[in-house]
Amino acid sequence: MEPKIVIPGELVSDKKMRLGPHVFVENGKIYSDTIGIARVEKGLARVVPLQGKYMPKVGDVIIGIVVAEEYSVYAIDINSFYYSFISKEDTRIVLRKGNVVSAKISRINEINEVSLSNVRVLYGGEIIPVEPTRVPRIIGKNASMLTLLQNGTKCSIIVGMNGWIWAKGSDEGIALLKKALDKIEHESHLANLTLKIQKMLFEKKST
Amino acid sequence: MEASYERPDKRRIDELRKIKIVPSVLSRAEGSAYIEWGQNKAIVGVFGPREALPQHIQDPTKALVNYVYRMATFSVPDRKAAKPGRREIEISKVSGEALERAIFVEKFANTTIDIYAYLFDSNAGTRCAALTAASVALADAGIPMRDMVSACAVGRANGTIILDPCKEEEDAEDAVDMPLAIMPRTKEVVLLQMDGLISKEDWKKAFELGVKGCLQVYEIQKSALKEKYEKVKKEEQAVIEYLNEQLESAEDAEDSGETLAGGENLER
Repeated sequence: MEPKIVIPGELVSDKKMRLGPHVFVENGKIYSDTIGIARVEKGLARVVPLQGKYMPKVGDVIIGIVVAEEYSVYAIDINSFYYSFISKEDTRIVLRKGNVVSAKISRINEINEVSLSNVRVLYGGEIIPVEPTRVPRIIGKNASMLTLLQNGTKCSIIVGMNGWIWAKGSDEGIALLKKALDKIEHESHLANLTLKIQKMLFEKKST
Repeated sequence: MEASYERPDKRRIDELRKIKIVPSVLSRAEGSAYIEWGQNKAIVGVFGPREALPQHIQDPTKALVNYVYRMATFSVPDRKAAKPGRREIEISKVSGEALERAIFVEKFANTTIDIYAYLFDSNAGTRCAALTAASVALADAGIPMRDMVSACAVGRANGTIILDPCKEEEDAEDAVDMPLAIMPRTKEVVLLQMDGLISKEDWKKAFELGVKGCLQVYEIQKSALKEKYEKVKKEEQAVIEYLNEQLESAEDAEDSGETLAGGENLER
């Protein structure tokens, strides 16, 4: 079946098959629960969302900001709908309010509260917010897009799966990076994006 | 039903007013929509799911849906008081409950989904217009839903059952006004109100007409949402490539993200 755009409640497949993300079953038929691109293949029905907030997933590397320190935990804003926590027992690093950290999601409980591990503090730089649904596109196949961005802008970049990108570099580099990210976000559903970005980055450099 | 009945705005008795929906009009909202339904104009913004505060209103089993319906002071011929009246509070409640049925609220425990619907111009059927736009705004925000919610009003004026009555028809002597909202896929009724007196047979006729109207509204919502991604349709091939790439990179992303956070490039 060809991929097609679906809106919430639209039919994805009327056959019985495995369920991917963003689909649900009602009366034996499979429907989409969000606006996205439906794809049915190899007995798997799935919808790639075009909009939406970041949903935490175990194993994701994310960028967060420390918002509070409590008796035994640090509360971290991870651009999701709930704060996540770093247990003080798990880390030796002393964090302060306002610190930017990168961390890995180690556990999620049934009400979407998140525990983080592998914490490290990032000094300087800045956070560039993007649509969480576009993050795979920013990393690219075998991190091709990310490598390109790093080489093109001479910035250190860490991509958080939650849609926050931490970058550190020269002012021109950051400005160029922001432009490139903007382009990726707006044209993420089009082909040959890597080539376009390559052209953009290296044209800017020569002038 | 009199076939000869002529409506004030020259519509057929089963014809909706002109509807225009534009999604994503507010930059600071998670999702939003602008609707023009005849003379009615409204903007709806969706915020959240976000932490519900104060904490004691949180529900650990589901998200709260906070729907706020307001009419601007200049939306009616005589200036309306800015303070929300009984009518606005009631509409907020019933519309919120209608949307709550469509949203997967159980996925977002302890959070609230705030929906703000503001009417800037009004001429009968504003609650339906706002609810229709709110459903588009929710889809635009990427909030998981069972189905869209499509609404429209039916009524009776001068002895004829009509779809989508305008202000003049609403004020007719024997007027019946029945706002109706359904989930189009299952035709489940999520909002049904009525004022006026009507016989059972007439009510059945009106209800059927209303469902037909809602399905027309649904088609408009659908095309409004899809239009935003029209480019995708045009470049079918591009979509396929994009999906292939995303499939692979979604898996790659975990690995590469990890090594980067491990920090080879930071030491530079």
